[in-house]
Amino acid sequence: MACISLRDVCLDYPLYGAYDFSLKRRLLGRLAGASAPTQTIRAIDNISIEASAGTRIGLAGPNGSGKSTLLRLIAGVYPATSGRIGITGNVMPLLGLNAGVNMDFVAADNISLLLRISGRKPTQAIIDEIWAFTELEERMQHLPLRMFSSGMLMRVLFATATAFPADILLLDEWLSVVDENFSAKAEQRLLKLVAQAAIVIIASHDQELLRRTCTSIVNLDRGRVVNTVSLESDSPYPFELREKRA
Amino acid sequence: MTPAHYSARRLSVLHIFKVYYPDLFGGTLSVIRDICAGLKDIASAGVLVCSRFGGQRQIVVDDVAVERVRSFGDVLSLPAAPTYPWRLWRRIAEHDLLALHAPFPLADLVFAFGLGRNRPLVVHWHADIVSHAALRRFVEPLMRRTLRRAHAIIVSDAVLVENTPLLREFVDKCHAIPFGVDVSKYNQPALRLDRVNARGRLVLACGRLVPYKGFDVLVRTAVGRNFEVWIVGEGREHERLEQLIKELGVEDRVRLLGSVPDSERVKLMCIADVFVMPSVTNAETFGLVQLEAMAAGCPIVNTSLDTSVPRVARHGMEAITVPPGDCEQLGEAINSLIADPERRRHMGEAARHRAMTKYSTTAFSKGIEIIYREAAAAPAPTVRVSRAAAIGWLPAIQIAAALAWSDMRHRYVRSLLGPFWMSIQMAIMVAVLGSVIGHFSNAGAVARLPMLALSLTAWTFLNSVVLDATTALQNSANLIKDRALPPVIFLLQCVFRQALFALHNACVPLILWLFLVPKDFGGAVAALPGLAAFIVCTLGLSLVLGAMATRFRDLKPIIESSLTLAFLSSPIIWSPEMINQASSVMRLNPLTHLFAVWREPLATGHVAMTSVAYVLAGLSVLAVASVVTIARLRKAAFWI
Repeated sequence: MACISLRDVCLDYPLYGAYDFSLKRRLLGRLAGASAPTQTIRAIDNISIEASAGTRIGLAGPNGSGKSTLLRLIAGVYPATSGRIGITGNVMPLLGLNAGVNMDFVAADNISLLLRISGRKPTQAIIDEIWAFTELEERMQHLPLRMFSSGMLMRVLFATATAFPADILLLDEWLSVVDENFSAKAEQRLLKLVAQAAIVIIASHDQELLRRTCTSIVNLDRGRVVNTVSLESDSPYPFELREKRA
Repeated sequence: MTPAHYSARRLSVLHIFKVYYPDLFGGTLSVIRDICAGLKDIASAGVLVCSRFGGQRQIVVDDVAVERVRSFGDVLSLPAAPTYPWRLWRRIAEHDLLALHAPFPLADLVFAFGLGRNRPLVVHWHADIVSHAALRRFVEPLMRRTLRRAHAIIVSDAVLVENTPLLREFVDKCHAIPFGVDVSKYNQPALRLDRVNARGRLVLACGRLVPYKGFDVLVRTAVGRNFEVWIVGEGREHERLEQLIKELGVEDRVRLLGSVPDSERVKLMCIADVFVMPSVTNAETFGLVQLEAMAAGCPIVNTSLDTSVPRVARHGMEAITVPPGDCEQLGEAINSLIADPERRRHMGEAARHRAMTKYSTTAFSKGIEIIYREAAAAPAPTVRVSRAAAIGWLPAIQIAAALAWSDMRHRYVRSLLGPFWMSIQMAIMVAVLGSVIGHFSNAGAVARLPMLALSLTAWTFLNSVVLDATTALQNSANLIKDRALPPVIFLLQCVFRQALFALHNACVPLILWLFLVPKDFGGAVAALPGLAAFIVCTLGLSLVLGAMATRFRDLKPIIESSLTLAFLSSPIIWSPEMINQASSVMRLNPLTHLFAVWREPLATGHVAMTSVAYVLAGLSVLAVASVVTIARLRKAAFWI
């Protein structure tokens, strides 16, 4: 059973200035006995979040409020400075679409490499299925990605990233990147993915999107939780309502 | 409360120190013993220490389980116990709370590696490192790390915090809990009678015979005065003190009693007329024996150290305080007490009263208990399985291999010759260098070619792995930060990728070997372990240097130029026989041996033991460094 439990978690982000990357300075400073401690900034300040299966949390807040950092903390990119983090279930962090993409490789190679990175074994059938979703021409599968327009590139990456369900899904600023035509289809697929995942955490500025997809919205500011809005819904799948309305 | 419930709330505390009974007696040890005894109702204690005297590993001392790790003598006052860190690491998981009795840099080292991060730690600060000032400079960063990680720091007196710069940094964590003494132990009416000492001139001192205790000052003080000095305790100064006593001609009045059982010591304290604490450095932080003597109603003569020594027994009330190391004033103070029985009685009573009221064992145990309970209840600093553990090693290696494979395929993409343009490049290099080297030496240049090609292939592998590793993490910042892949994957990727390239290059030496050299498969098989060692070394180097070059950006140019230097100073394109005498630079160069362990079996069928030893030593150093690096890589996302 997937669950996330953050208790009083803090993260001090070390601010490495230009000189903090120098071993020579560090050693000289230590010899001189005047080693200044590295500056840190509290990026996450005492945040507690409990999420069990079926929870969809939206993270909202101004730029620099710690949304992405919190997602990365949950993904295990940053070690917490203090507090308890307990996570069960496999985490699929989709924080940047173009991570791991090599523009010189042909599309099919990129797709299979990205699948491998997520721990899946790529087969031709899976690649074809992903390709079908992108609605791009078949022969483009064998063109290097650098020949793709940015919209086409996004289609490929989105289709690959969302091809498999995960227990815990971490999403960061998603749909703004896809063009109008594709957007509806992409959102539908995202909603399907969200429906399959046990826990979803989405960071976004799009309040509408968060209201449609989440069961609660956590507002962050300067690394602290400002408030938590719980969205009451009769249906276990709140987005179904919206789909009917649409 | 049911027994089960009760036992569930019992703490399990691991005391960490360098030595314990019965190997040694001393103040710190009796503090540990008192803590164990005082908290036996709420906590089960274990003690992990080193021992020089073999014997049983698991023993029980005063109902406390003591594990003794074999040590091979002391280096700079530290036990040389290579397995201690490992045992400590294993034991940490078994206990709820760690109690480190500082100073003990060996344990600081273990904590600096990040082991035991998930257990609360309480530091009992017994003393600063005073004796080895040079060592302190290296150890201080380690101690600071431990203190930063600790939940609480327990000192015997607030004055210690004021006078120790390192503790001042953590002043809000420090708790002053004065040691306690059980006055009832000293309440023996039979001894009260003995106490009437007709001569009225017995001076007692207690402690390990180590320099900071200042017993030599006390011995010198005895010269030309008429009191008797009995010194209780054992230690490495014994012979020196004995010699000093002989030289000064005071054998008749100064006696070294050696170590004495506790009950005997109590009796001695009760019959003594004056108790002297002549310690000369701040390593003496509290002076537990002084407190025991106070409990026995002895007037005290102590020294004006910056620690709590003159505050436990105060000048003019329970003690006469003299400057440390001053024989003249020490002698006068003792004489004045001996000459004045009324003052002695008066001071002794005051001392006993103070010990009873201010330094009770119950208050001590209670104070420790509160701090232990708080520490155990507090959330551990951070608990989380790193992503590497979450992903698992096998999938991580698979991802690294997939990335490396795709890198290699990409190298072909726009090349006319396909896979073998790399091999051709190597062939050209071997041909050119081979002809140049052929002019240097008179031996057959052609016969040398296969070895030259193989050495170049191996060197290219090592060189490019290390160079690649220095930038690997930065180049994969996206995957590390956005897909949460463990950074170590990308360092492995470098090794795998370059190994694939090296296989291409290896065609050249293979073909040359097949055509130019009489076949000797035995040598080739004998070279395999050496080759494996070479590859593992490369892997270790890539991990350690890759991580360090990412953290410290000025390392990359240093590594680059060192690699060039290493290439020229190691027997890669030239062989050891080509220069007249093996130069010492060449012999000390670890790369020479790293190449020798597989080249010599190939060429001659056997390998020098020094080379093997060199490589094994290098491998173990790299293994330790790699473990540390992998732990440190948790923070790699901050660096890129």
